Amino acid sequence: MQIAAFIVRRAVHSVVVLLGLSMVIFVISRILPGDPARVAAGARAPDWVVDNLREQMHLNDPLPVQYVYWLRDAVQGDLGLSLVTRRNVAQDILELFPATFELALYAGVMMAILGVGLGAVSARHKDRWLDNLVRVLSYMGVVTPSFVWAILFLLVFGFTLGWLPTLGRLTEGLQPPPRITGLYTVDALLTGRVEVFWDALQHIVSPALALAMGSIAQQARITRSAMADNLGKDYIAALRALGVPERVVMNRFLLKPSLIPTVSILGLDFAATMSNAFLVELIFNWPGISRYGINAMLRKDLNAIAGVILVLGVVFIVANILVDMAVAYLDPRIRLRTARGR
Amino acid sequence: MPRPLAALIPVLVLVLVAACAAPQQPSAPAPQQAAADAQGAGPATAPETQVLRVSFAWPTHIDPAMGSDFSSATALANLYDTLVFPEPDGGVKPWLAESWETSPDGLTWTFRLRQGVRFHDGSELKASDVVYSMERLLTVGEGFAYLFTGVVERVSAPDDYTVEFVLSQPNGLFLPSLIRLYILNEDRVRANTKAEGPYGENGDYGQEFLQTHDAGSGPYRVVEFPLEEYLLMERFEDWWGEFVPNAPDQFRMIAATEPATVRTLMANRELDISDQWQPIESLEALQQIDGVEVAAFSNMTGFYFMLNNRLPPLDDLHCRRALSYGFDYDTAVSLEWPGTTAMVGPVPKALGGHNPEVMTYPYDPEKAREELAQCRYADTIQDYPIEFVWVSEVPDEEKFALLFQANMAEIGIPVEIVSMPWLSVVENTSKQETSPHLVSIYVSSDLPEAGPLLKQRYHSSTAATWSQNEWLLDPELDAAIDDALATLDPEERFAKYRAIQADLAERAPSIFVYDQVEKHAYQSYVDWPAARGEVIPVMGYNLWAPAIGLDR
Repeated sequence: MQIAAFIVRRAVHSVVVLLGLSMVIFVISRILPGDPARVAAGARAPDWVVDNLREQMHLNDPLPVQYVYWLRDAVQGDLGLSLVTRRNVAQDILELFPATFELALYAGVMMAILGVGLGAVSARHKDRWLDNLVRVLSYMGVVTPSFVWAILFLLVFGFTLGWLPTLGRLTEGLQPPPRITGLYTVDALLTGRVEVFWDALQHIVSPALALAMGSIAQQARITRSAMADNLGKDYIAALRALGVPERVVMNRFLLKPSLIPTVSILGLDFAATMSNAFLVELIFNWPGISRYGINAMLRKDLNAIAGVILVLGVVFIVANILVDMAVAYLDPRIRLRTARGR
Repeated sequence: MPRPLAALIPVLVLVLVAACAAPQQPSAPAPQQAAADAQGAGPATAPETQVLRVSFAWPTHIDPAMGSDFSSATALANLYDTLVFPEPDGGVKPWLAESWETSPDGLTWTFRLRQGVRFHDGSELKASDVVYSMERLLTVGEGFAYLFTGVVERVSAPDDYTVEFVLSQPNGLFLPSLIRLYILNEDRVRANTKAEGPYGENGDYGQEFLQTHDAGSGPYRVVEFPLEEYLLMERFEDWWGEFVPNAPDQFRMIAATEPATVRTLMANRELDISDQWQPIESLEALQQIDGVEVAAFSNMTGFYFMLNNRLPPLDDLHCRRALSYGFDYDTAVSLEWPGTTAMVGPVPKALGGHNPEVMTYPYDPEKAREELAQCRYADTIQDYPIEFVWVSEVPDEEKFALLFQANMAEIGIPVEIVSMPWLSVVENTSKQETSPHLVSIYVSSDLPEAGPLLKQRYHSSTAATWSQNEWLLDPELDAAIDDALATLDPEERFAKYRAIQADLAERAPSIFVYDQVEKHAYQSYVDWPAARGEVIPVMGYNLWAPAIGLDR
């Protein structure tokens, strides 16, 4: 019950946040230099074509009026016309969002498993060579941008070793599975197309790992640090003195409370991955929303800019809510505070 | 950690490792792919299918009333037929039009169409389709419409195989411009037109449909066009023209220009021809791959330093000439791909009507100083630092800015380098008061002769666009350009172009840096006419797939 109330409260807050976000993005995108209608129509299009386009997009109206038009349509699921693709932005986003979401999902799984795993190993072997090795690798992971990892993986796995594909979501000539969720690996499994699942999985490994590398390193550092702190606490010494097996001490009594900061960061990292994926999408020719958003900004595609940022805003909010719920699950004190309505 | 989650870890790791270790194999075609396979699918499904894969910069617009950039022009040339077809010498030859005639006053052009030409849906191409295509292009007004806007007064179809265009005034460029009138299947477009749209009774004029489908009669037709990924076209076997014997069954335009991606694809033989945007370092690396070569040919593009002729100190001829003499062209050319040459005058040498006899400004610092001494700002030149703007999205331009700055320092002219996003360049050059001293920019001609480029670069009607920063605003020059463009006889027209170039060169309105060469890496098994030197000097036509052979 408390969880339901919590979700409703957060949902209401989210609407306010999204409204504010939409206003900020709307204003910023419209004060950028360049006439979007002229950019879309081309330098040599006659003025009347540009004027028609401006009229069609309400660009001649005052900014508040434009915003009201946009908001009115947006709540009905109409995000307006993209000046680049000349389709409804909502249609573009629906087509591209699953690709980036799937990428982020796999990156998230890698972040969680590899980040926490490496952190736990590091903490368990604190100040020994394994710990030092993980720390060095973590530093490398944190300081190296995802596009460098992407190029590295492309060249190593795609070129030198030839193990993994280099381009897109599926091998050329292979038909995508019938769309259910838009996530190829999921849809392929749901429709029993194992060969497509396998192919899609091979395509997603390199870009997802490239996206996850920075966060894996960060999760490893945070997990190690939290576990190392808790390792010196009295309750751990007491458990060991009572003869509780080391595996149980580590997994049940040390790792779980140490995961709270990791989970908080992981949720935000997952959401950030969605918006930061553009270079990785560019390198792997991944048809995602992040690349679409950057192209929209470069071409001053107003509605596409607003639409993409709004959708990514929703992802951030949902990720935050999920993180809060996960933290409440991990930390009984937070559950108690929620129950008391604090 | 909860046990179920812990149990999942080895499973997931195994899956990932297996995915990494699994050798890539062609996958079996899925049942849903039957339609695509029937038309010939990629090598993964049918090894005998020959696919030409070329990388391109996104976006690609395949609506004939919208696309006008390089990738769009390439796609349109393969999907649609036109009345005339460009030839390597810059002229045109009969294509859908078997013959044509002009009225004595040059205002009425009558074309006789080839009979039996089929659209991709099997229906016959008629004169009414030509009328519809021109009317649609003029109404939508985008893409290549500017070539006909204000030129074509009306178009009609006296019978099924005759089309008549009436022009508002004589126009020497009308015939070559017809390589950009892509003929649509009227019935197919009307059947897929949405009733609601900005074009009155024509609704959306089929725009939504034509974003992802074709309605043409060209040698290839659209198979699929997933957003941001690729455009896949397949050979239209009932096309009336001729394919070379080993022409590709499919043509895949891949939306990828990232150098690391292109390099990997070329090395893996997953790409046959690279895009033209690869930096020099990338091309050098590509050339090191076994079986990969680089083709470089002129593409009617000039690289200019566009000077604002209204802004002190560049409103003085001697100052402009000082800049022109002070720039080291040979070094600039050496920074580009072999085959690049310095410009001679205001238009690239490959264009019809180019004048090789114009006044030039070879690098000569001493002469530059002499010119500077005659400039009325000579004593106060330090108060007028030249603002050199380069487009930040084209990082290769920065080296030319630095070279210019170093050259000008030698003769005592201060230069400030500004990197500016493209949209800001477009915005700033649209007004005289915000146009900077100098913008470095590449400008291409739409047609293979000098006139359109002269109009684009120096005519008052195009002054407020990014393609000029000079602001000459000279009615006499405008009249000379208009007169040349209205001249029907090519020889006479070219002579007028040459006179205009001679006049312009003496005014030194811009620094004419070099004629750009278009550079593509390609696999040696591609029998590519452009790489052999058989270049068609019109954007998009060098990747016309029926003429490209694959000998894998």
